[in-house]
Amino acid sequence: MGISEAIYKRGKTAGVFPSLSTRRDEAYMDFIESARNLLLHAQQEPIGEYSKLLLKNAGKSMEPDPKSTAEAIELLMKDNILKTYYRIKRTLQESFWECTYSSLHMRKNDLLRALDDAEKIGPGSVAYDLDFSIPEYATAEIHIQPGGNVNDPLSGLLYDYGSKVFMGGAADNDMFADMQASTVATPQDNKVHRILDLGCSAGVTTSALKRIYPDAEVWGIDISAHMVRYAHARALGQNLDINFKQMLAEELDFENNHFDIVVANLLFHEVPVSISRKILSETLRVLRPGGSFTLIDFSGDKSRDVYTMFFGAMDAADNGEPFLPGFVRSNVEEIMEARGFEMHPYDPDKFILAERIGFKPNH
Amino acid sequence: MTDKKLNDLDGLENLPGFKRGNPTYFENEVIDHLISITLELGAELWVVKDRLAHVEEVLSEHNKLSLDSLSTGKPSALLQEQLDLERTQIIKRIYGRLYSKYGGDVAEEKSAI
Repeated sequence: MGISEAIYKRGKTAGVFPSLSTRRDEAYMDFIESARNLLLHAQQEPIGEYSKLLLKNAGKSMEPDPKSTAEAIELLMKDNILKTYYRIKRTLQESFWECTYSSLHMRKNDLLRALDDAEKIGPGSVAYDLDFSIPEYATAEIHIQPGGNVNDPLSGLLYDYGSKVFMGGAADNDMFADMQASTVATPQDNKVHRILDLGCSAGVTTSALKRIYPDAEVWGIDISAHMVRYAHARALGQNLDINFKQMLAEELDFENNHFDIVVANLLFHEVPVSISRKILSETLRVLRPGGSFTLIDFSGDKSRDVYTMFFGAMDAADNGEPFLPGFVRSNVEEIMEARGFEMHPYDPDKFILAERIGFKPNH
Repeated sequence: MTDKKLNDLDGLENLPGFKRGNPTYFENEVIDHLISITLELGAELWVVKDRLAHVEEVLSEHNKLSLDSLSTGKPSALLQEQLDLERTQIIKRIYGRLYSKYGGDVAEEKSAI
């Protein structure tokens, strides 16, 4: 069985995502995706207004500080409508992982064989070490994905299909990744020969970057061997020449001044702030003078009110993102500046995915 | 767990969803279970409706039923469009009332971004 046949053997959701193993599972996941869109995403605005009214009527502060956030959590989680919302959110999250896990593991041997076969061919390459020492922080079951990013051999496929459902269609056909990659800053002299994607997971952003810069040498690195193995097979399916390697973003195995562009898309909120600082130092080291770094992630607490802090805290708990609150409190653009990046103006009103763009100084 | 890690958690460990497995959001956990049960029943009902519609389409087109074509094939674009519409209507009709207090029952479908 060929790589494409094993990963995309059947189904209407095939294409850039791995297909599930049965029509039954697809129908089940269709329901989960629609239910998320109607009962979660569509509710965010009205339930936000409802929550703010509850806070206002109780005379609570709208400031985003820790004390006010703790008070907001205590008040809002007494409300039965909000309890229902978060109950539904968690149930749908658990259900979609259970179905994705069982459906893909039904074909586990075929899928693993396809990943093995993909390693032997190009374009592109993949490198990993079975004895790689995984730091403890990375073993958390982020997104409550079974096995997390590092402990299941199919974690790349699970993550990719999970993203499809989680994003409710916005990630289909790599639309979301292409949109995010389009916000990546070019170096000040516009010369782009080498690009690095930090914490690339399934390699979706990495592939989008290669589409924008087809002549550049593109690298995707991730802490998980299972992720880079899948990322390579996925890029292969799109005939993209990309190098994937298992590596810690805080200990980059590249020479100084090597890259023109470095990108970190939704990596920083998944690591402790102490690791973020190390990653920023390493990023500055491997960027060449004038090179650009684009960090795409959630906004910091300085641009939030207490409701968005509450929403973020609940999402962090229900979606298994233990380091998200620390990241939000860190206001990472300030750390970037302190580390020595020349910062591009940052739009603090962009709540969900805000780009922080920094350049390595020329002197 | 070190103090540093606790600082990073920012009180997250006190929220119901922080606990793995099946956390409870209501004082009476039966309510949690009932909501989860209705969602699971809704998903399974949808699986049956989807399968039946697909069976009917295959039968009407080929006048015979192939189990393989049901599992590996896909519905026509027209049927898929009808199924997508019906699915959102069912979810709205059954579950929308949970959010009727603040008007969320009339919210239109929306993706994450």
